[in-house]
Amino acid sequence: MDIEADLVVIGGGMAGLVAGTIAAEAGLNVVVIRKGQSATAYSSGAVDVIGYLPLASDPFSSPEEGLFALSRLYPLHPYSVIGYDESIQPEKILDVIVERTRDTVSWLKAHLEGTLAPVKGKFDSNIHPITILGTTKPTCLIQKTMDSGDLNERDDSVLLFVGISGYADFNSSAAAQTYLEDRVVSGSSPQKVAHCVLQVMPFGKPYNISSIELARHLDHAGSIEPIAEQLKKHIEQVGATHIAFPPIMGIRNAMKNKLKLEEMTGTTVFELLGFPPSIPGQRLQKSLETIFVKAGGKLLLGHEAISYTRDGALLKSITAKSPRREIKIDAKAFLLATGKYIGGGISGNKNGLRETLFDIMPVTGDYHSALDIVPSRSTSTLSISPVGQPIQSCGLSVDPRFRPVTEEGLEWAENLFAAGAILAGYNYAVEKSGLGVAATSGFNAAKNAIELIKEVA
Amino acid sequence: MDENEAFEYVKRTLKNEKITPFHLDELDIVKSIESCINCGLCINHCPVVASVGLDRFSGPRSIAVELSRSSPEFWATIDKIYLCTGCGTCREVCPKNVNIPEIVNIVRANIFEHRRDLVPKGLMLVKEIIDKHERAFEPWEDPAEKIESRDMRLERLNLPFVPDVVKENAKVLFYPGCQAEERAQEVREAAKVILDYFDVDFTLLDEFQCCSLPSHLMGDAKTARDLASKLKKKVKKLGVKKVVTTCAGCTSNLTDLSERDNWGIPAYHLLEFLVNEIGFNRLANALKNPDIETEVHVSVHDPCHLIRHTSRQVMDHALNILRIMPGVRVSESIAHDSCCGGGGMVSYHSPDVANAVVQENLEALEKTGAERLVTPCPLCTAQLENNLFKSGSSIEVDDLTVFIAQRLAKKE
Repeated sequence: MDIEADLVVIGGGMAGLVAGTIAAEAGLNVVVIRKGQSATAYSSGAVDVIGYLPLASDPFSSPEEGLFALSRLYPLHPYSVIGYDESIQPEKILDVIVERTRDTVSWLKAHLEGTLAPVKGKFDSNIHPITILGTTKPTCLIQKTMDSGDLNERDDSVLLFVGISGYADFNSSAAAQTYLEDRVVSGSSPQKVAHCVLQVMPFGKPYNISSIELARHLDHAGSIEPIAEQLKKHIEQVGATHIAFPPIMGIRNAMKNKLKLEEMTGTTVFELLGFPPSIPGQRLQKSLETIFVKAGGKLLLGHEAISYTRDGALLKSITAKSPRREIKIDAKAFLLATGKYIGGGISGNKNGLRETLFDIMPVTGDYHSALDIVPSRSTSTLSISPVGQPIQSCGLSVDPRFRPVTEEGLEWAENLFAAGAILAGYNYAVEKSGLGVAATSGFNAAKNAIELIKEVA
Repeated sequence: MDENEAFEYVKRTLKNEKITPFHLDELDIVKSIESCINCGLCINHCPVVASVGLDRFSGPRSIAVELSRSSPEFWATIDKIYLCTGCGTCREVCPKNVNIPEIVNIVRANIFEHRRDLVPKGLMLVKEIIDKHERAFEPWEDPAEKIESRDMRLERLNLPFVPDVVKENAKVLFYPGCQAEERAQEVREAAKVILDYFDVDFTLLDEFQCCSLPSHLMGDAKTARDLASKLKKKVKKLGVKKVVTTCAGCTSNLTDLSERDNWGIPAYHLLEFLVNEIGFNRLANALKNPDIETEVHVSVHDPCHLIRHTSRQVMDHALNILRIMPGVRVSESIAHDSCCGGGGMVSYHSPDVANAVVQENLEALEKTGAERLVTPCPLCTAQLENNLFKSGSSIEVDDLTVFIAQRLAKKE
């Protein structure tokens, strides 16, 4: 059952699939193995690039501004690493970082067009979409279904939050209230806000309804019209111009449903950003998989990398285990995109942290060994604070080519690259940078891997 | 009271309290449940939740965090725990590898042991048949009729007849599984045709018996273990090197048994055997039957027990074999890897649920425009064939083994 490939990517989230697609598009024979879904599938489905500087309370107005600040203050941040190429003159580093990140964002945007999760947004300005809590967050790309149109530009806009009876994940009244309070605090012009509850019963019951049932129900033809009819009454009552739905508008037909509702009600309809695991996150994950397979990559689901063989400075093969089989995969280069604590790339216990496949030394956010850190000392008692949880910044340290390095500062293997959440030196929860770092590091690590493979050939 | 007496005493207490200690080989499964982080990702992927809603089937997460932790009152889970089709999708998407499909069987086993009165009647009927005949389906009353049915199938499919062989020390034991043994006889015959074509030194069991998966799935752990140990004896006595089967469920279960009970004899699906032992070169030369219709547009269904319980790579083999067949065009259905609803013994007591699950596949299949569906599992074949027929579809269904056997050229 052995396989041979040019590049094996271990991990199939944002970092792994972007890297795999780049390599497949470059004509390489790529295998992505994945043991399970993880942070990308959990995500809200919006792609953050950089929202905040750690400790700051004001969001960046654009990823570009954020990257400039970040790369000056945090020279080892994964975003900063993409500018450390020997060929780049020091004064050009900042521009290169911004350019390469911009390229990644444009690439992603272009590739997601025509999938289940087409996105909109610009690299030159952050968007502030509303979440199901009624708060807003800075992000770079939102799925087109989340586009609230001219909500903030219009003085007379009336925003209606729509809840669904029996669907406990979203409370439209609480969200409306939080949204209003948030706007008052932030000094934005007050807006008229209303809320309502609709009856949508995928299985004929008005209780115990899950996101997936609603999304799948709305994928069926004829399901959106009765919702529009119910909505019209509420829209008339409050004069709503904009309608906020929880993120359940469909898996395959979400965009179609948004447009249909808009057409039938004469309003702007959009999805709020939801909690993990959200339906838009599922759409994004599925879309990335589709893009990779379309580029000619081989996606091997349900396989976990459990061991490896190496030959001197080179990694030669990994063994992938499925529930009842093992496959040896030989390759010229490897890319580790196994994520952090959720994905399982890094695991920890009371004695310290370790990287789970190759046992490469993990480091803390300050680049000290994390092998024997006490996790309880790297966590903050406040669950949500501007400092975040320091343990989130632990991970692997990489060289300028995104190759993980050992304690001596040398690459662990000449042909092993790393990308995504397994990297140290950034804290996605605080910075709002998770999928952006994953995509950008995946994009650039893959380019380095391609270069290496072509050199060898 | 010495240590052993104390142990026996405690064991008796457990029995009174209706607690069954786990087997050692179940501990990994139980421990995996502790890794559940309660994220709920699995709910969004569960085909049963998608087909009947969270209120009817509370979903894989609830199995991990609630139902499997209901000891000793496992009986309280009966309205949910029997609705899992065991497709393994939850385990495949789970970031923590929580082994939900297997914990379901452990919970069912507990109910079976302590509250057999609550086990769905449909399952108890299957148990009766297994107890009586050591196979999951009632055998033919008249052996002559069975042969007649077999010959009719061979004639309809234009397959030659390869006589049964039973001998010791053959290289391969061909194990057809209950469905192909009693019902879909064409699959059993087709596999023999293929093995014979490639001069594989194979044997059948002297007396066929069930692999124990149905008993395992309904929670009848004792029967399952009895059948497994009987089967081991039969296989060991034959002195074969490998077991090859055409059934997806048997593939995963025999692999499990071989490992758990130290058979020292690996089990494979016929597809794996063809790719690994025969190789694509020989296959490509063989699959050139000039008599068979030239153009056929097919779609493929991936059996859960192959892709999610064994390895996704097996279905890659299937697609690669189809690709080298002249005149065969494959269109992928978007639900190619979605459970057909036929698993987990659900159809025996809640056919409405099983048939709700398969709807997804039917709709996606119609969209492919394929005229035929092939799948390497006789159970999936039956479930899909019945439901396609009921829905008035013109798509025909073939077990992939039959499809391959039909396309073999004349032997040189």
